[in-house]
Amino acid sequence: MKKTLLVAGLTSLLATSAMAETIGATIARFDDNWLTVMRNAMVDHAAGLDGVELQVEDATDDVGKQLNQIQNFIASGVDAIIVNPVDTDATVAMSNAAAEAGIPLVYVNREPVNVNELPENQAFVASNEIESGTLESFEVCKMLRAAGKAGGANVVVMMGQLSNQAAVQRTKDVHDVVGIDMCNFMTIVEEQTANWSRVEAQDLMTNWLSAGVEFDAVIANNDEMAIGAIQAMKAAGMDMSDVIVGGVDATADALQAMQDGDLDVTVFQDAAGQGAGAVDTVLKLVAGEDVDKKVYIPFQLVTADNIESFLGEN
Amino acid sequence: MADATAPAAIIDTSRKKRHWPPEFNALIGLIGIAIVFEILGWIVRDQSFFGNLTRLKIMILQVSIIGIIAIGVTQVIISGGIDLSSGSVVGATAMIATSFAQVGTYPRAVFIEQGWVDLPVIIPVVVGLGCGLIAGLINGLLIAYTKIPPFIATLGMMVSARGVAQWWTKGKPVSFPTDQYAAMGQGMTPVFIFLGVAILFYLILRFTVYGKHTYAIGSNEDAARMSGINVERHKVLVYTIAGLLAGLAAMVLSARGLTAQSGMGVMYELDAIAMSVIGGVSLAGGRGSIVGTTIGMIIFGVIISGFTFLRLDAFYQEMIKGAIIIAAVVADMYRQRRRAMES
Repeated sequence: MKKTLLVAGLTSLLATSAMAETIGATIARFDDNWLTVMRNAMVDHAAGLDGVELQVEDATDDVGKQLNQIQNFIASGVDAIIVNPVDTDATVAMSNAAAEAGIPLVYVNREPVNVNELPENQAFVASNEIESGTLESFEVCKMLRAAGKAGGANVVVMMGQLSNQAAVQRTKDVHDVVGIDMCNFMTIVEEQTANWSRVEAQDLMTNWLSAGVEFDAVIANNDEMAIGAIQAMKAAGMDMSDVIVGGVDATADALQAMQDGDLDVTVFQDAAGQGAGAVDTVLKLVAGEDVDKKVYIPFQLVTADNIESFLGEN
Repeated sequence: MADATAPAAIIDTSRKKRHWPPEFNALIGLIGIAIVFEILGWIVRDQSFFGNLTRLKIMILQVSIIGIIAIGVTQVIISGGIDLSSGSVVGATAMIATSFAQVGTYPRAVFIEQGWVDLPVIIPVVVGLGCGLIAGLINGLLIAYTKIPPFIATLGMMVSARGVAQWWTKGKPVSFPTDQYAAMGQGMTPVFIFLGVAILFYLILRFTVYGKHTYAIGSNEDAARMSGINVERHKVLVYTIAGLLAGLAAMVLSARGLTAQSGMGVMYELDAIAMSVIGGVSLAGGRGSIVGTTIGMIIFGVIISGFTFLRLDAFYQEMIKGAIIIAAVVADMYRQRRRAMES
């Protein structure tokens, strides 16, 4: 067994070093912070591998443009394609184009609609989105209980862009957690979108406070909005030790906010792990190895207790 | 614009007594919307919508940064042009200016290796205003001297400036600015900055040669040229000022969020244009005022707060915002047609 693995490893090593592999990657947008960490990790990882050439393009959130980029990759004869889909419903055409050309393709970070019907030579690398909102909300629930609020607690929810699958899923996770027996003391009193944006979240929170909304916890779909909420609450003179605030992403700014004692919960989505994982997976497909259709990079919960191990990660 | 030749402009002033100025429409719209929200407030939330200081503050605060942009855009539209680049210029300027305003205690500051951290606030401010100024100057030079339409020139800048915003740090956010820099965006400071800019440009447009030339060029460019105005030079100035104000807005925005991100300011140009249009600024040029734009801005603020207050989803907010923009333009067209028929 060991021998075959070794041989397989050696042959794949030989295969990759003997002939340069070119990978074409198209990323939904270059101006997204998290995707930037992922993209940079892909570039760094590919640069560290012998004979792998990675070309990255920006789809600028345009479905049509992304499809064109894929077709251009195919036309220019790349060995593999990595797609971070702009629109997760628009992936069937992409899968077909790559399958017809016989070029391996890996979707990264965003789950394609055809994830269960992916053609041969295609795979999906990401974190399991259901985990993030659930980890976040459940930790908020536990913290509220620990704070002695199991008798009843009000929660406000800040949603990301409503067209985005992660925003929809994470918000659903909050509702699911509130639905379980252990956490049904939580009541969602407000739920609005702040479009993933810190400044919009500041405005939303201030609007809530002006309407006299009272709450014990803020559950935001991402860290940027959680930080915006914190800034607005502090500006209104609220004591941050009385409010549990949760976000997702574990950005550098969020970890700073946690160290300052303002943010209580965030969830680390391993951007670098996904980026490197996508490159590795697509190279395995090129080498003809067996690959799981869904490669999951786990989410991790971040609180003040374990923050040290995440500083400097994303 | 058959009625907007230079002599007609003189007739316009004499007619002001009989015709409502366009800002009046906007003001009536604002009052109407306010009454609706006040009534619904009592029905849905059992509390007053306007009788709340915090809410009154946030209504203005949340739109004042786009308001600063709208001031610049207003004078561009009055001159007969358009500026689509302001949102992207905000993104680029926020990234570049904030990168010169970071604290040294943040290990991932952009210029930490060069030691350019904890700089006096004047440096990022000059850099930021410089960025906006250069973007506006390029717009102005392109429009005035290559004669490409303002729509195309500023569209090009819109795409390029967004590229600059992303390229500056390869998409990474720029956070942890110094306290001095952050002060520009804390509390009600953005509102005061907006008010300062608005009052200044109200006076400039109303009482200076610059203002008169801006209206003249927007009303009838050929007539303005024949009466001796250096149209090209003036256009360069108009777009440069718009860029400068976008740069200022960018710094206030990043100071408010304590961060700069390359996606900042997306769609701000359209909100700024919409504020002007709702406030009675004519897209055909030559007509409009800072007072009108300010009312347009307040309408936006009231709507955002009102919908959150009534717990209505963001979908409806966007739909209604769009409907109000259309209604404002339709009302304006109707007024113009009636005036043309009467003269």
